[in-house]
Amino acid sequence: MTTVIPQGSRPRRLTAGRIGIYAFLITAALFFTLPLWIMIVTSLKPMDEIRLGNILAWPANLTFDAWVKAWSSACTGLECNGISVGFWNSVRILIPSVILSIAAGAINGYALSLWRVRGANLLFGILLLGAFIPYQVFLYPLVRIFSTTGIYNSLLCIIIVHVIFGLPTMTLLFRNYYTGLPIELFKAARIDGGGFWTIFFRVMLPMSTPMIVVAAILQVTGIWNDFIFGLTFAGRENLPMTVQLNNIVHSTQGERAYNVDMAATMLAALVPLVVYFVSGRWFVRGIAAGAVKG
Amino acid sequence: MSLKTRVSAYTLAVALIASTGALAQKAEVLHWWTSAGESASVKVFADQYTKAGGTWVDNAIAGGANARAAGINRIVGGNPPAMMQFNTGKQFDELVTNDLVRDVENKAKAGKWREIMPKPIVEATVRDGKFFAVPINIHGQNWLFYNTKLFKDAGVEPPKTFPELIAAGEKLKANGVIPLALGGQPNWEHNLFRAVLVGNGGADLFRKVYGSRDQKAAKSPEFKEATELFGKMRALVDPGSPGRNWNDAAALVITNKAAMHFNGDWAKGEFTAAGQTAGNEYGCTIVGKEPRIVIGGDVFVFPTTKDKDQLAAQDKLADVLLDPTTQLEFNKKKGSIPVRLDVDVSSMDVCAQKSAAVLKDPANQVEAMELLSTPNFSGAMQDAVTQFWNNPNMSADAFVEKVVAAMQSAS
Amino acid sequence: MAIVSIPNAVATSERPAKSRRINRTRLPAALALLPTALIVLVVYIGCMLWTVRLSFTSSTLLPKLDWVGFAQYSRLFMNDRFLVSAENILIFGVLFISGCLILGFLLAVFIDQNVRAEGVFRTIFLYPYSMSFVVTGVAWQWFLNPGLGLEKLVRDMGFESFTFDWLVNQQMAIYTIVIAGLWHGAGLTMAILLAGLRGVDAELWKASRIDGIPVWRVYLSIVLPLLRPMVVTATVLLAVGVVKLYDLVVAMTLGGPGIATEVPAKFVMDHLFERNNIALGTAAATVMLITVVAILAPWVYAKYIRPQGRPA
Repeated sequence: MTTVIPQGSRPRRLTAGRIGIYAFLITAALFFTLPLWIMIVTSLKPMDEIRLGNILAWPANLTFDAWVKAWSSACTGLECNGISVGFWNSVRILIPSVILSIAAGAINGYALSLWRVRGANLLFGILLLGAFIPYQVFLYPLVRIFSTTGIYNSLLCIIIVHVIFGLPTMTLLFRNYYTGLPIELFKAARIDGGGFWTIFFRVMLPMSTPMIVVAAILQVTGIWNDFIFGLTFAGRENLPMTVQLNNIVHSTQGERAYNVDMAATMLAALVPLVVYFVSGRWFVRGIAAGAVKG
Repeated sequence: MSLKTRVSAYTLAVALIASTGALAQKAEVLHWWTSAGESASVKVFADQYTKAGGTWVDNAIAGGANARAAGINRIVGGNPPAMMQFNTGKQFDELVTNDLVRDVENKAKAGKWREIMPKPIVEATVRDGKFFAVPINIHGQNWLFYNTKLFKDAGVEPPKTFPELIAAGEKLKANGVIPLALGGQPNWEHNLFRAVLVGNGGADLFRKVYGSRDQKAAKSPEFKEATELFGKMRALVDPGSPGRNWNDAAALVITNKAAMHFNGDWAKGEFTAAGQTAGNEYGCTIVGKEPRIVIGGDVFVFPTTKDKDQLAAQDKLADVLLDPTTQLEFNKKKGSIPVRLDVDVSSMDVCAQKSAAVLKDPANQVEAMELLSTPNFSGAMQDAVTQFWNNPNMSADAFVEKVVAAMQSAS
Repeated sequence: MAIVSIPNAVATSERPAKSRRINRTRLPAALALLPTALIVLVVYIGCMLWTVRLSFTSSTLLPKLDWVGFAQYSRLFMNDRFLVSAENILIFGVLFISGCLILGFLLAVFIDQNVRAEGVFRTIFLYPYSMSFVVTGVAWQWFLNPGLGLEKLVRDMGFESFTFDWLVNQQMAIYTIVIAGLWHGAGLTMAILLAGLRGVDAELWKASRIDGIPVWRVYLSIVLPLLRPMVVTATVLLAVGVVKLYDLVVAMTLGGPGIATEVPAKFVMDHLFERNNIALGTAAATVMLITVVAILAPWVYAKYIRPQGRPA
């Protein structure tokens, strides 16, 4: 879909209305950038300056030490290797989890929206309700389930967990998306004798790119920022970056180096941030492509 | 799907590494010491263990609750670490009753732990006549840290009792400084309350409230008096306190903005990191009618295992933890004092020396809340205290009612 | 769980003749749903039942399966903190969802006015969603703290009597959580609604311009109803966040001052892991669950379960 042009009123001259629009947007932008600004300037200050000073002021003694420290030498227990250690673990968890949860969501959404399977709506209803239960409630029974199956504390385990808890949102999004597509497409494919998988791979999947982008953005954010599942299910060898981030930020009885905390947070958020910067345009274009027709 | 095979190949590889690793007395240790100072202290143990021929595999998870939840899940899931940290006290009771941690009674007998450790610590670690954990340090929880310069400027002496402290606070306030720096989070508010309760109400009252949940004690005039003193201390705290981290509160004392700060002795690390030494820029003292120190600390437990190598590793760890030199070095870095009272502490800082001297008299040893009450009751008390502290309109009687309700309902 | 036989809308008209063939071809669809069905059965339903069961026990650190009836529930409803939590989540939920929808809609509409640097604005509004609250909460905490942030800054500029102490004020603290929540969630709402706006037919704008209808009226009376599916999607995503609200509170206020900003998920978490009181924690979780079901079940039923025809 290439016709993604703004649809609103479109005067080009600088009228009072235009000024109002920009004033509103810029005010909002200031509100939204405020915490980021605080984090950036804090991460560039030495600790003495942070203790004394104005949280919004640009650093008097600009230093990148905190960033270097956060990445490669901040201590998280005995090991003082910063959060770089967890980076690759997070990537290893992220990629399969995102791919599998999107695949599961797409297949479910497709089966639920276009094929009438008995009990499917009930299934979907329960899944949706499940999305509202606090995760903490699942931890203990899931540990028991996984340890009986023998995969507790492994990469596979954490991936399965992410797929399980991605199911409600992913299914909901794809179901709505496929429901919004013109039904004639599906009918035609059925008349041509296409089976379940043929239609999925030949017709539906190629049309799903916009939704896949949206789903990927949501999942990358959610999985990358996950802390509690990684901590509980990944095992010591695979602890994600957020566990190290938490170790740096939440020491129980020790000094808190806020500059390092802030730098570490921004480093940890880098992957989702990059995804947003690169794909923000598609994110909007994505849902625009079809979801509104329902 | 090549991805799938890669994933399973990876898990297999991890499994292989894990299984071969166990042969070299590899001991995975789960704890929540993640700050720089804490890391330095745990490194003492790790180095000593390495020297003894083992391999220390460090698993640090910030936040006691996070670390305990992760560890307990692994113990229940049948994949425990070799050794795991708890606070001295009742946190691991049910692991003992469910046979999930092993006893170290043979080590305790050989090392005469009952003779060299303070009785409250021994009692907190022994179940059914056996040691089920290795205590490693003693933290005093009710220290008053004060800024010597601000005290001199205002012409006040370090207070000996809480009424004195409140009077001194008024003078300091008149002098334009924050009298009392408080980390305005429920657990620090509660810690302050306990310092007042034990200091003004005495050790017995403290034990009756937190230990036996004696409702009469909660309704006693002494308890009410302590509560009212605690309430008066609201006036000594600055309005920015709510939500503040404890180390930011300590920083207020360090930077001459606030005069006093109640905390455990781990707060020394903040002063040290800022280049200050006990006795010069800051002082430490115990406030109360008698110098009672509320003591808690940390222990390590050994999850049950059938693996011979793990058992051997656990035995070796137990020896390493209580070695006198290791104890001294570890506790210097940790801010606590050695759990063995037979260790010479003359090389430690003046606060630690004071602490060790006071604790020589068993009458001054008061069990910390963690030793006396279940986490559940402690939590219910914390809810009551934080409500009282943050609501200046709440009367002491209303608070007593909340405490009694907590005593009745918290199992 | 997933048995094939309900007639499908595609073939409704020719059902009698073709139903057998369709049954066979629909088998793969049922099989494809089978793993999800198993997960729903074992994980979601299984864990829910387990949670409910434990709430009738006296479990402390480890679960045990005794029976104490409704003892935990009577404790729970006597517990100040739980009651405050329930009230807070209601305040937060209403303000957060409506706030995100309003702010998100406004942002989407304004961005849709052919503005320059649209991409920059969009990214700025959206980026908070990618950051975890662990530390961004600290940034907010500082900014809202009277001694460090806004109040101090304005006073330093010479307005000595300026006061902004919501963060440390028991009555107002919950609203600071809402502010930070809006910061986090409004961008996502904006993106979803903007997507909706871009899907509105260009003819509509031409027609309305010719008819001379004011732009704001078109947005309110014509466009907004068209965006209903997007609003629903956004509301669902936001509501999930409301129920699970935990990190933000921990990072900003730890439930304080006092218990003024406690929320149910934190109550559950604290009792499960910090206070060794699984029974009370699961009782609170059960109450949350029942509440959610009571609120959502009618909607889920009407929208997804009852209609056997093809959903609109």
